[in-house]
Amino acid sequence: MSGEAFAVATYGLSMRYGRETALDGVDLRVSEGAVYILIGANGAGKSTAMKVLLNLERPDAGRAEVFGLDTALRGPEARAQIGYIPEQQAHDYAWLTCGRLIEHVAAHYPAWDHAYAAHLVSVLGVRLERKVGTLSKGEGRRLQFVLALAHRPPLLLLDEPTDGLDPLVRNRTLAQLAEHLADTPTTVVLATHHIHEVESLADHVGVLRNGRLVAQLTRDDLRRTVNRYRVEVAEGWQRPPELRAANPRRSPSGREMQWTLIGEPSDVTARLASAGAVVRDVTPLALEEAALAFLAEEGAA
Amino acid sequence: MDVTLHAAPRGSDVVREQIRIVGVGLRREALVAAVVFGILTIAIVIDIFRCDAATWFDSTDWTPIAVAAFLFPFAVWRRDARFKPAFLWTLPADRRKLALAKVFAGWVWMIAALALLIGWQSTLARFSRVANAEAMPVIALIGATAMYLFGSALILALRHPVRWLVGTAGVFFLLGLLNQVLGLGPDGRTEAIITSTGVFSALDHLERISRMYPPFALWAIATFLWVGAGLAALLAAASRHRERRRH
Repeated sequence: MSGEAFAVATYGLSMRYGRETALDGVDLRVSEGAVYILIGANGAGKSTAMKVLLNLERPDAGRAEVFGLDTALRGPEARAQIGYIPEQQAHDYAWLTCGRLIEHVAAHYPAWDHAYAAHLVSVLGVRLERKVGTLSKGEGRRLQFVLALAHRPPLLLLDEPTDGLDPLVRNRTLAQLAEHLADTPTTVVLATHHIHEVESLADHVGVLRNGRLVAQLTRDDLRRTVNRYRVEVAEGWQRPPELRAANPRRSPSGREMQWTLIGEPSDVTARLASAGAVVRDVTPLALEEAALAFLAEEGAA
Repeated sequence: MDVTLHAAPRGSDVVREQIRIVGVGLRREALVAAVVFGILTIAIVIDIFRCDAATWFDSTDWTPIAVAAFLFPFAVWRRDARFKPAFLWTLPADRRKLALAKVFAGWVWMIAALALLIGWQSTLARFSRVANAEAMPVIALIGATAMYLFGSALILALRHPVRWLVGTAGVFFLLGLLNQVLGLGPDGRTEAIITSTGVFSALDHLERISRMYPPFALWAIATFLWVGAGLAALLAAASRHRERRRH
């Protein structure tokens, strides 16, 4: 990805909450215009990374940039480029009506598109007269979509954006997001546990595990380099330790094994062959399965 | 992708919006105050018709105003999670300036409320038919401003200002009890403990110096000192909410 312009770049970002490591030397690179899906287990550091990009949290080490703006030195300018949907819905403004909250947020974004905001309100079915505190989780999420999209930010940070949405509304909301991306030049960093929901949008994937970014690659690279291998092996055969593997399954006879292996297929096949295994089958995986392989990787801390 | 970066909001827009939103947030308090003053107005008007309104206009004591001004920031900030990654801090404005804009917005509404109060009291005093009727002096606005600044500084500086206030009051209460137990009496409450520091002699000295100045100069000095101290405390407290610089 060298030579590209990055919407988001972090350099050795590290952060701890007490004894817990939230981020450990994270070097995110999100190209301009990319839809970057960030996955990881709960507590892997996805939300913390987003908060650092908004300069809501101060990293212990490293730095972050949004369109070249150092978030620690130029926080307000960086935030002006960002539409943010937090994982947890804040109730700081529970006493306001949805309409008044939209007005309030609009006043802070000179680029706010009032006509587009009205369109989003209508499409997402946000009821302006309702108090924010009385909204259900799904209704709150839809309001957050309006607040995040209506100033047509160059960067969207979406933290579990479909959380709380029923299937019908989720589809409508994601369709609206796809329409937004088609109309507005936008980079998206989207943290989720449900990759299949956003699979059609994704073109880059990053995997955070225990605060470390263990994979960062394009959708095509991910699908090419993570495959399920069916191999025939001698009894007691051991996998070459340099191969990154997940989800092993051994047949009852012990002579056939299935794995998800990470690496260029030709290279993996050659290594298996040199270790005495006969590769019978290589099956490409769905994006979600491929991405999850990094979380289930054997020997991972 | 051809990216056009968005501008951050102008400071004046942020301040204007904070004045609006703080006003909306204080509607409930305003309603309660309106009801209380409505009832008081009725009571005072009845007393005026009975020619018995003197007790309403015999004092210029503005201690309650000072206390209310000190507590006013608690109403302004009560819904904001100041020390968390709250919604307020996700807005594209410098965090410290945003905090100060909110403090300013609260001050605007407080001064507006006090101006109404002074106007209300002065109007009733004029119609009270009470000789030498006393009303709230305009100087109360300055005192209230200083107290408001100290209250705001407390809110912005401390995660749990109520606990600190209650704790401080508790310490004074315990000191009072201690004095009583030691037989120093209520007047010796803190005196016994701090006399040795020389604070009282310094205060006496200051008081002697102050008598040398004309009243207006004294007023100006006091205003400068109290509002200045309040502002200094506020600016220091607001620094707790500045943008997260690197270590």
